[in-house]
Parts: sequence; structure tokens; C-alpha cells
Amino acid sequence: MRLFAKAAAAVAAVALLAGCSGGGSNAAGSGTTTLEWWTINLTAPAANAAVDKIIADFEKDNPGIKVKRTPRAVDAHKDSLRTAIGTSAAPDIYDYWAGPGLGGELVKANASADLTEYYKQYKWDERFSDAALAPVKQYGGYHGVPWKLNGEALYYNKKLFAQAGITETPKTLDELGAAAKKLKDAGITPIQFGGTVNWHVMRLLDTFLEGKCGSETFDKLVTKQADWGQEQCVTDSFTELQTWSKDYFNPGFIGINNDESSALFFGGKAAMALEGDWFNASIEDQKMNLADVGVFSLPTGTSRLYGFEQAQYITKDSKNKDAAAKFLDYFTSKAVQQETLGLFAVQSVNKDVKADAAKATQLTKDWDGIFKDAKGLYMNNDQNFNQSQTREYWRIQNLVATGGLDPQQAGADMQKFLESSQ
Amino acid sequence: MTKLTDTRFTAQPPAPRSRPHQKKNLVQRIGKGGFIASLPFLAPALAAYVVFVIAPMISAVRLSLYQWSGYNTDPQVFVGFKNYVRLFTQDPVFWTSVQNTVIWVVLSIIIPTSLGLVMALALNQPLVGRNLFRSVFYIPGVLAPIAVANMWRWMYNPNYGVFSEISKTLHIGDGSGVTFLSDPKVAIYAVFAAFVWQIAGLNMVLFLAGLQGVSKELVESARLDGANNWQVFRNVTLPALRPTVVIVMVLTIVHSIKVFDLIVGMTGGGPAQSSQVLALWSYTQSFLNHDFGLGNAVATVLLVVTLILVVPYLIWSTKGADDHR
Repeated sequence: MRLFAKAAAAVAAVALLAGCSGGGSNAAGSGTTTLEWWTINLTAPAANAAVDKIIADFEKDNPGIKVKRTPRAVDAHKDSLRTAIGTSAAPDIYDYWAGPGLGGELVKANASADLTEYYKQYKWDERFSDAALAPVKQYGGYHGVPWKLNGEALYYNKKLFAQAGITETPKTLDELGAAAKKLKDAGITPIQFGGTVNWHVMRLLDTFLEGKCGSETFDKLVTKQADWGQEQCVTDSFTELQTWSKDYFNPGFIGINNDESSALFFGGKAAMALEGDWFNASIEDQKMNLADVGVFSLPTGTSRLYGFEQAQYITKDSKNKDAAAKFLDYFTSKAVQQETLGLFAVQSVNKDVKADAAKATQLTKDWDGIFKDAKGLYMNNDQNFNQSQTREYWRIQNLVATGGLDPQQAGADMQKFLESSQ
Repeated sequence: MTKLTDTRFTAQPPAPRSRPHQKKNLVQRIGKGGFIASLPFLAPALAAYVVFVIAPMISAVRLSLYQWSGYNTDPQVFVGFKNYVRLFTQDPVFWTSVQNTVIWVVLSIIIPTSLGLVMALALNQPLVGRNLFRSVFYIPGVLAPIAVANMWRWMYNPNYGVFSEISKTLHIGDGSGVTFLSDPKVAIYAVFAAFVWQIAGLNMVLFLAGLQGVSKELVESARLDGANNWQVFRNVTLPALRPTVVIVMVLTIVHSIKVFDLIVGMTGGGPAQSSQVLALWSYTQSFLNHDFGLGNAVATVLLVVTLILVVPYLIWSTKGADDHR
């Protein structure tokens, strides 16, 4: 009974905390509208300061509107939304990933308002790039306002590449494999991954699937229109993953997280890192010599950019939708986006915002080229699948990566789970 | 004779109480000075118990029969025993978590309990620095499990961890470092080692307390009768420690079944869910997968298993309390 008593006390504490944590949108009787805005934590102090300034500037220009921002860690943010959506504690605006497995789940749960009228009123269709608009239009109507679009690519240590005799960045998956082999032969760890966070290694598996299956089949696989157990490219991708994890990953990768494994790249102990454009800031923070680091697009051969989008959603039950739309219009305006360019992502979702060439580092310029050359977007699979499907995808991926599952069986296992979880 | 007869009649033992009479007494006791009279005093605690213990348990069992994402905007759909069918036949991780929970409980009963007893026996002897050793062994028990998890995760780190450094210094293995947490076959045992490190000291303290109750006279008389150390331990100390052993066992089982923090902090249930346990899998299904039906089905299974293991202890302890009245 002591166990139950303790469990009950814990449940009670959580319930009390959940009850206290909710904010709630409201229209104050004093004539001031207070917008509740729930966001995911921004790690960089400069990015946080920039958001605070945006709010202050907006409130100065709009004396009748106050913006109350509540940043939370990823899991706390998800938990808070789950308990608050559909109640008076729900925020007016929430920050979320735009993929169907995450933002899409909330759209499905009737959390998000269709913003078609605001897209017309503020001409947002003309403001955002096609790549940025695609995720918010995928459910019919417009759900969410694009905020940042992050791309992912391969960072590499130029010195280690030269040491291994690699003179050009790989253009195909075969060349990438050959480069990894050269690095290994030279006694260098070819690529670093932290396996405990699952999504880190997933990036490479997603890359193999896009490269070996092609864009069309990849899209069919993630939308359950193709059979994972029947496509040979799926088996080939898992086989490739097993080869890489066995021969080219840092030893013990599955027992450490991405921060621990990134230390290998920063310390010159691993030659490559599959990371997003936010990694530029980390490289500078870690005082790496920028001249030694380069970045190249994932050589899938499909020309699509690998990445994901974050959007700001207005809740369906918000009583302050007009004020919320006004704030988001300001937040994504050219002036604000130009001023904050590089703090949230290297590229702005606002297509009128251009980088200042004089201030840009070589890495930023490389990223500009990657975004410019990309034709379309394929998203991380933890954005494409729902949460339980993602977890099973990770389980199979990790089993294959650690030699616990035959790659021949991996596709069939994934298909079986997808069918049972429909 | 008559007198005797009279005396016999007057000294007749009272007739055994009839059953209706007993019932009447019980009802009278409850009515006059017992249960009803104590209700006002019990009510606050009873209400809290119902609200915070009974109701959540009933709610968990009820939710296990529904399909629900956890969002208020999403309706709860009654699906009967479908979640249990999914759990037992389609969930690829459930049986792994059952197996790991069983392994954890069984190993917990054997290893940290024995280790605690051995340490207690050793530190019950008049040794130099005895109190210092007692404190040192007990300290891990007062640390937060998540702190212990962080500490051990760093110790196991294949690049910078102490085990890797030792293996490299001693040229053990291929020089790539120790990868205990990376091996799906070893990970659960690697986490269990941290659990033993934390819990053995706590067991030691309980055994030490129990050892203070072992009769010195009995030990001495056993020795005078020629018993060796093992015989004294087997026939005198261990029987006297029986209540302590039961308490340690039950506490260990309870600790084992609800193990959560160490797994979250060290492996997150990985690699590939190989170190998953029931408590964590219930949390994962509900709060990470947003499948509250399945999550509560796991919680209900855990509840049943816990009751099966703990109820006998409750009966035993209640019986013990009654015997001492």
C-alpha cells in the first residue's frame, strides 16, 4: 500500500502542478488583450533576447495588446499542450513542429485554427517561400504560420578529410561510403552519432531511404502508401545503416547522446557530423577554427533538402485570434526577420529577407548554396510518423545498428507495426 | 452434598457465546464506541485516500478500456479489452519490459539483499573505522536516482568513462572503450549494477538494525555448545533476523517493480528498447506516444503484479500485529 500511497501522492502533485501551470488566453476587461504564447525553449541567449525585444517592440506599437511568452523544454511543452488544449488554460499561440506526426497530431486533435482568412488579410501566401508554406498547407486550409525552416547536411573537418586523402566532397551515397572507408583506413572515426536520443542516427537512415528509394517511394513509404516489407530499397537502406554503424560510427555510439558525440567532432576526433544549420552557432561556441570546417548537402541524388519546419499555431478556441494574427504578422515581417536572421536559422521563411554577404561566414554561405540548390523538402521521419510509429522506427533502426536484427527483416517488422497501429 | 451440588451449579462456567450474541456485540461496538464514532476523525484521511489513491487507480483501469490521445478535444472511445489484446499480441516491447522487470526483481532479491546482509554482518563486528564504513556504504542510498544515473552514465562513457580508461590502461579489449550501455544484451545489467550500488547500503542499515535485536546470550550459549560461525549464523542469527529479512525483501521488491529513474537517466529504455521496464513503458505509451489507453493497460498489469507480490506481505504484517495484541 505504501507504493500506492506514494504513487497517489505523485499523481496528486502532478495534477496540482498541471492545474497551476495553465495560462489561458483572455480578453481583459481593462481593454488590454493579453496573448498567451507558449514556445519551445531557445538555447542561445542571443535568440531569447531577440524574442524578448520583438515582444517589447510589438507591445510598444500596439498598446492594447500584451504578449505573455511561456517557454518550456520540449517534453514539458508537449505535456502542457496536451493537458491545456480544449480547456480555458490553452494558450492563444503555440510553437510546434509542422510535420504530420507532431503538428499534424494537434491539427487532428482540433487544437489548431484554420488561418485562411488571415492568410488573405495579411497576404502571407506572398510572404513565405513555397518550401515554408508546404507544411502548413498539407492538412487543407492553413494551419500555422511558418517561423523557421531548418536544413540538415553533413559538416566535415577539412583537415581530417585531407589527412585521409579525400580531395572532394562526396556527390553520391557510394562516394560517401568510399570517403568513410578512406577515413577509417586512415585511423579516423568517419562520423559521430549519439544513439540514446534515437533521432540522431535516424537522420542517416532517412538519408539512405531517400537516396536508395528515391523521392517518390520515400514519400509513399512515410505516408503508408508503399509496403516497407516489399521494397528492396528499404532492405538496402537498413543494410547500409548496419555497415555504417559497424564500421564508421564512433565506438559505443548507442550509449551516448548527441551532445557527448558532438564533442568528438568539436575535438577533431570525428571527421563528419550530420547536423542542422543551427550547428553553425555550436561550432563557433566551441571555438573551432571555422576555416577547418565545411558543410555539404546529403548526397542522396534527389536534390531535395532534408529538414523540418517549426510554425506558430493559433489555437482553435482562442478568443484573441485577431490580436494573435497581428502579432504573428509582425513576428514574420521582413523587418523583424531581417534583424534576427541567423539567430533561429540561417535562412528566413520570409522570402524577401536576404543575408548580408559582408557579415556572412563561409559556413553561412555554404548553407545558402544548399538551400538555393534544393528542389523540394523531405522531412525527418520523426516528423512524418506519429509518436508510437516513430518509437518503433527507432527501435528497429537501433536493433539493426547494433546487430540485433537482420536488415532483411527490418522492413517487414516496420510494415507489421504500421498496419497494427492504423 | 447438596451444598456441593449448589456450589457446582453456582460455579458453572459461562456458556460459550452464541454467534448471534457475538454479532450483537460487534454491532453494538460499532454503533456505540467504534466505527461510527470514529468516522468524523477518519473522514478527512479517508477522503484524501479515496481521492488520491483509489480514484486514480480506478481511473487508470477505466482508461485502459478506452482509446484516447490525452487531448481534451479528442474524445475517449470505448474499445473494451482491445488495448490488452494489442499489448499481449502486437506490442513489440511489452514482453521485453515484462522480462526485464522480472529479471530486475529476481536479481534485486538475490544480489543487493545478500550484499547488504554481508556488509551488515561485517560492520557489526568491532572494527576500526566501523562507523565511517557504515556511512560510506549508506551514502549512495540517499542520492537521487537520477543523479546516480548521470554519474554511472559518465562512468560507462565509452570515450571518457572510468571503465574505458581502466580497460585501455590494462589493455583489455580492442581499445575502443567499454560499451556496456550500448550492448542490448548487457545494458539492463549495466543499469542494474548502479541500482545495486545505490540500494545495498540501505539494506545494510536495515540488517544492522535487525542484528541489534539478536540475543547475545543465545549466540554465546551456541558457541559454548561448540557451534562454529556458520552454525551460529544459520541457527541463531538468521532466524532472529527473519522479520528484518521479510521487510528488506518486500522493500526491495517494491523498489524493483517501480524502477524508473535509473533506466530513464542511463539508457532511456534503449538501446532498441532492450532495457525497457513496465513502469517506464507505461509512461512512454501515455506521455510520449500519446496512447493513454495502452499506457494505462500497462499500468493496470503493473498494478496487478504489484498486488500479487505485496498483498501477502500486508496479510503477514497485519497478522503479526494482531498476534502481538
